[in-house]
Amino acid sequence: MTLSHFTALILFSLIVSVVFALISKTQPMEQIKYGAFVFVSFLGVALVVGWIMFPFPN
Amino acid sequence: MAIKKHDTNDTPEPEASPEVTDLEDTSQANPPMALLKPMRLASALAVCASGWLLPGASHVVLGRWGRGLIFAASVVTMFVFGLIMQGRLYDITPEQPLHIFAFVADVGIGLPYIIAQQFGYGIGVLSNPNYDYGSTFLWVAGLLNYLIVLDAFDISQGRKP
Repeated sequence: MTLSHFTALILFSLIVSVVFALISKTQPMEQIKYGAFVFVSFLGVALVVGWIMFPFPN
Repeated sequence: MAIKKHDTNDTPEPEASPEVTDLEDTSQANPPMALLKPMRLASALAVCASGWLLPGASHVVLGRWGRGLIFAASVVTMFVFGLIMQGRLYDITPEQPLHIFAFVADVGIGLPYIIAQQFGYGIGVLSNPNYDYGSTFLWVAGLLNYLIVLDAFDISQGRKP
């Protein structure tokens, strides 16, 4: 089974954000907000860093 | 094992009983508002050991069923995907002393690591494009489980609900 990089990123971000949210926050609404923030942050930072590296040769 | 809890509110509400209650009652109370009475260190370490061996078990033992099951599902899913992507499970090799760090991360998942090693999974296939991702998934699954165990320790000491 081979996942695309983006699929692996989404899976990784999803699982880590769920665990971080449950560890860091106690109230359900706080957990949802923080989990969504961590998830979007993972995706956003990865995409930004990916585009920053794009012009550089391999 | 009788684990006690106490209320965190400075001004307890009238309907909240000031008496300590058994752990079994915490599933019916509002868990975010309930702190456990600090456990003895030996008991807390036993709870942590159960959580290391079986991801999420420490929270289940402490009465946090929902969180425990979500933690277990998350960490085990990540571990299984790491194996599916043919990542490598590291063990201690004297020739490669720096692999100890990868081993410590991998072994954090507990029993699934031992089972996977026994059944020959986690060999690591370098030719697989997902090899690096798989190895990272395996590390992070173990490291997340360490965090989960520490969270359970804090709960057992009454530091967080």
